[in-house]
Amino acid sequence: MNASSDTMTANPQALEVLQGFPGTKLEQLYRQPSTALAVFRRMLPHLAKTIVMAMLYMPNPFLASDLDAWIRPDAVAEKEQALLVLTSLHIMSTSLQAQGPRAYILGKAFAKSLRQALTGSGEHKSFGVPCRPPGNDVVDVKTLDDHARRQWEDILYYMVGSTTVGVEGQSHISDATKSLLELGNFVDKRGRITQTGFTFLLQEVNAQVWSLLIVYLNRAPELLKMDSVDILSFIFMLGSLELGQGYSTANLSSTQKQMLDDLGDFGIIYRPSLKTPIFYPTRLATTLTSDASALHSSAAAPTPTFDTGLAGGSGAASKGYIIVETNYRLYAYTESMLQISVLALFTRLTMLFPNMVTGRLTKTSVQRAIAQGITADQIISYLAAHAHPQMLKSTPVLPPTVVDQIRLWQIEGDRMTTTSGYMMIEFATEAEYRDTVEYAETVGLLVWKSDAKRCFFVNRIEQIRSFMSNRRAARA
Amino acid sequence: MVKALKGVLVQCDPSIKAILLKIDADSGNEYIIEDLDEETLFVKESKVASLKEKLKVTLRETVRENTDSDSE
Repeated sequence: MNASSDTMTANPQALEVLQGFPGTKLEQLYRQPSTALAVFRRMLPHLAKTIVMAMLYMPNPFLASDLDAWIRPDAVAEKEQALLVLTSLHIMSTSLQAQGPRAYILGKAFAKSLRQALTGSGEHKSFGVPCRPPGNDVVDVKTLDDHARRQWEDILYYMVGSTTVGVEGQSHISDATKSLLELGNFVDKRGRITQTGFTFLLQEVNAQVWSLLIVYLNRAPELLKMDSVDILSFIFMLGSLELGQGYSTANLSSTQKQMLDDLGDFGIIYRPSLKTPIFYPTRLATTLTSDASALHSSAAAPTPTFDTGLAGGSGAASKGYIIVETNYRLYAYTESMLQISVLALFTRLTMLFPNMVTGRLTKTSVQRAIAQGITADQIISYLAAHAHPQMLKSTPVLPPTVVDQIRLWQIEGDRMTTTSGYMMIEFATEAEYRDTVEYAETVGLLVWKSDAKRCFFVNRIEQIRSFMSNRRAARA
Repeated sequence: MVKALKGVLVQCDPSIKAILLKIDADSGNEYIIEDLDEETLFVKESKVASLKEKLKVTLRETVRENTDSDSE
């Protein structure tokens, strides 16, 4: 699969959004220690974290030549990747001394906030202000989990409900959430699920929450006159809160108070009543910036696996329920309509029993799913992630024949692979071409090249551009 | 001076490429910017979806597929 997904603990969507922010806004964001810490923990590749840590208490700019000496020659690609992320997030910049060798410095606001976050100093209150409810009316974790699960599953129900007969009318989500799903292009104007929606549905809960929050972040500023910096810093703050602890709404900005209602609808926070100035983050919120899994993966059974799933306390993964045989037959031990409708997206279901459904993966059913925008890899990873404990005893978990066949069915429908990007042409010299193409290859952007025609194709251009101007500057 | 052209790289079998070239020729070179090598074409970004659609139609007309894999 994608090689970068290993080294990046980050959520790629969230990272992209941040990279799209102008420097001044990022600077504003980094004034909150909770944000700086969350960005550091969740958005940076490992090597970038190491570099930031090393530079955090460095009084002087860090020479580029020193940095190069730290990095092993075979890890140049990782170094470039780390530097690119750091500079695009405005965490690190090249020192602005006119003379002298190239050196790096950390952004002032980011460094200060991260130091505060690590040492717990300052009076910033950015990690929330815990408070006790009046009359000792403590809300327990189970209530929070119930609330989160109910709200989130309602959203998912609403989305799959449009494809399967018999699930309709079961979800009760607010109009604001409905229009948000529409704005995010997860469902179309008539409430029918779209291609983006399918992809959304098969993601991990954590990625789903992020997807939805990002739509919110993109749309709320224009629709509700909210400040995007406020929204984002609140999201990052939620990620640093503690499950089961109540927090005061008193020190929130007006935008953030407005958000409480919407986040309550998503099940990300819980408010016992609208009158008391207190809110509780649910598991959906507290796992936003950590690696722990929220609830369990997309279609969790509301009743049967509920106890096994969440009573463990640490958000342990739910028990799998899918058995796939080498003859493409599929048995799913579930009563959840949500899980069944997700399966129905790519399986031909034949029989429904009180505690299980049976069906078969067929060429038609899989290709129908693929035509709707689900990829073979998504289907396979969904089946693997929800495999029954009996299946987990064998390695590989899924029968290889089935996995291969699903992939082949996809290829069959899609006879050409397309990559959008940029064709680089008209290099003046052979050396210029060779250096640039080698760089593109090391950073993993190269898709196709022709040495004879002296041109090559990359899927992203920003990095190539900066490499070429650096190269020119170095020559001059 | 180096130039960067925006577009879509299409990689496929030579047989599929032949069909794509024919579609392009029939429509008056609406799709393809450059024929790169045996398995690669450089295509206008705005036209990719319609090219895919036309390829599907052509394949459906010409290739007869075994459709009884669904039987229980």
